[in-house]
Amino acid sequence: MTETIVEMRHITKRFPGIIANDDINLSICKGEIFALLGENGAGKSTLMSMLFGLYEPDQGEFLVRGQQVKIDSPNQAVALDIGMVHQHFQLVSNFTVTENIIMGVETSKRRLGIFPTVDLKNSEKKVAALSEQYGLEVDPRAVIEDLQISERQRVEILKMLYRNAEILIFDEPTAVLTPQEIQFLLQIIRNLRDNGKTVILITHKLDEIKQVADRCAILNRGRLIAVRDVSQTSTQEMARLMVGHDIAFTLDKKPAQFGEEILRVDSLTVENEEKYEAIRQVSFSVHRGEIYALAGVAGNGQVELADAISGLLPVKSGHIYLKQTDITQESVRARNLRGLSYIPEDRQSVGLILDFTLQDNLVLKRYFQPGFRKGQRIKLERWQSYARRLSQVYDIRSANGIQTVVRSMSGGNQQKAIIAREIDQDSDLQIYVQPTRGLDIGAITSIREKLIQERDHGKAILLISLELDEIMACADTIGVLYHGSLQTEARAGELDMETVGAYMMGAQHE
Amino acid sequence: MNTMIIDGLSYALPLLIIACGGIFSERSGVTNLALEGFLGFGAFTGSLFVALTSSWFSNGSTVPMYLAFLFAMLGGGFYALLFALLCIKFRANQVIAGVVINILSVALTGFLTSQINSSVFGEASNKFQLGVSPRWTVPGLSQIPVLGAVFTKFYPFEILIVILVIFINYLLYKTRFGMHLRAAGDNPQAVDTAGISVAKVRFTAVVIAGMLAGLGGMCYAYSISTNFSPSIYFGAGYLAIAAMIFGNWKLMPTLAACLIFGLARSGAYQLVGYLKLSSNYTNLALAIPYVLTLLLLIFFSKTNRAPRALGEIYDKSKR
Repeated sequence: MTETIVEMRHITKRFPGIIANDDINLSICKGEIFALLGENGAGKSTLMSMLFGLYEPDQGEFLVRGQQVKIDSPNQAVALDIGMVHQHFQLVSNFTVTENIIMGVETSKRRLGIFPTVDLKNSEKKVAALSEQYGLEVDPRAVIEDLQISERQRVEILKMLYRNAEILIFDEPTAVLTPQEIQFLLQIIRNLRDNGKTVILITHKLDEIKQVADRCAILNRGRLIAVRDVSQTSTQEMARLMVGHDIAFTLDKKPAQFGEEILRVDSLTVENEEKYEAIRQVSFSVHRGEIYALAGVAGNGQVELADAISGLLPVKSGHIYLKQTDITQESVRARNLRGLSYIPEDRQSVGLILDFTLQDNLVLKRYFQPGFRKGQRIKLERWQSYARRLSQVYDIRSANGIQTVVRSMSGGNQQKAIIAREIDQDSDLQIYVQPTRGLDIGAITSIREKLIQERDHGKAILLISLELDEIMACADTIGVLYHGSLQTEARAGELDMETVGAYMMGAQHE
Repeated sequence: MNTMIIDGLSYALPLLIIACGGIFSERSGVTNLALEGFLGFGAFTGSLFVALTSSWFSNGSTVPMYLAFLFAMLGGGFYALLFALLCIKFRANQVIAGVVINILSVALTGFLTSQINSSVFGEASNKFQLGVSPRWTVPGLSQIPVLGAVFTKFYPFEILIVILVIFINYLLYKTRFGMHLRAAGDNPQAVDTAGISVAKVRFTAVVIAGMLAGLGGMCYAYSISTNFSPSIYFGAGYLAIAAMIFGNWKLMPTLAACLIFGLARSGAYQLVGYLKLSSNYTNLALAIPYVLTLLLLIFFSKTNRAPRALGEIYDKSKR
């Protein structure tokens, strides 16, 4: 494990307004499993995309097998025996496994001496041999659309191997898999290493790194924090390095005054669009004057939970009670009118109609109410005065006032618009999912203050966030979601950041 | 009965080759409503060649006809270049581009035919006269009851089409190009990451579509009217699209759809004659393939699956 196969020197990559990678120096040895660990947006995927030729670095250079190389396209990367399994698979759905694997590097034989014909039979044999060698069980003749996600992933891996890749990059490969499938994949990754391949694993799941990786590099906000031997490093330390040394925001926050129960979720199970149980048997309740914060790494069921409570996703089993009324089967509007506000994670596709004006977006939950219409006709003056008032009170800034098309507004002001619309409903329950994602410090602070202010007004707040410091700063009660289940639940003072971090990574409740 | 099969086939096979053009284009991911325009322009080019060279050949020679087929393919392919440029290079909306190409084809060929007739031949006509295609009968085989009609009085182009369709089947399903073409219509990103240019594949596919449709148009010019006139735009391009959709964008089912359309049409003709109805009813009979289209749509649209990336303008940066 001493021979260096990939070396990165001073790699820097800037995107407008953000430094994705800042002067990164790394060397990866031949035949090891090297993990890249970091939170969302730490710059792991960007770094590896550059190695695979999808982006070019602004500064710095790559050395592969000691040779300085310029990788400006994936084809170039493949020529250097580098392969990558993306999060979104690149497969032709109506082709067989073999056809997908050989596409672009097909071999032909001549029929009747003149007609070149793709040699499927031999390719199938070759694919079958490869899949046996690495324990990648898949039928070479199966059609992709009949395969499960985990099988499709194996096809992607075979695609790399078929092209003789020596350096295999996996971009968050377990995000789409069930726990059993994850174990299977980790075994495959070990097999690959044992066959002399070099594996680079991008992930934010500590338990997986602990299971398979030899070494790991920890990235935080584009910078390389540390490179550690996994066997010499505790999960706690990795978590601490990953989250960074930044101290959580301290907000001016009075002790909570809990009132009556507003939301009760009772053994809720929710399936996502792939019919996978994204939320399993989750129960909790939120009271007046309480900020209940749900922590968890992305993709552990947070979005599904919020969508189910707000009525966007159907519930498989269990019940949701709003102020003691069972709302499990009610429509989204009925829930809104009962007093539920929802600030969704995806503000652009769920929260707003981007090509409508600010005014029209602000009245979205009001326009049907008396006062905003006369019969079927809308009362435009009322819309305008309402939108103007909201944009003043909530300080929403835009180029053309309330007639600005929302698409052209900044992310922070888009978010303010959603929050203004939702808070102005005066709902007793407010659900916030990732309310400060992608915003600058100023907007983040003002939104967090708003949250606490609403709590002090006696609202029940459910805050779902991927950012641990946000959870620690705002929560009165903390719950941790892991693989769709509530891992633990405690008063805010009873848990410190590292403990929550450990639960987020799947540590068991002792 | 015999007439019905003979006429049905001579109508169905050109329709099939036009539909094959549609299959090439759409399986590569380019929505193609422009077949009508392609076939018209192709037939125009072929007929123009015949008109210009008629003095070179002896009366009754079949050489001009075969050359007309060749030139129709070249003309159709050339005209399809325009469509490919609009859709692939300039990323125009494929439906609108298709409609524009059709309208332009009608206008352009009509205008050019009249202009060339008056300036080159000094006559006022919107037609190019073509010779009469020979029709062949296989002795022996044609004597078989019912099936014999298949080998009776068929046009030479019918053989040409059958050979071409076998070749198309090979090209689409057995070669690297065919693989890339079908992949581009399902997941162009996958094609791109495999190091193959999606634009090139689609460009080639659309040009082939133009060539096949042009050939189909030329066949109709010989079989239906023995001249080229604006009546070539009688809707075969649209019917071919319908046949391709019922055929689920696959060759053999599309062949079946074309045969049904062809036999329905010739059958309806026979019926009008048999019932001794007035010629007014012929127009009604002509509508039968289209009515059939509607009925089939009701049954087939549920099970049908278009290529996944059909009509999707491929953008590399959106990977």
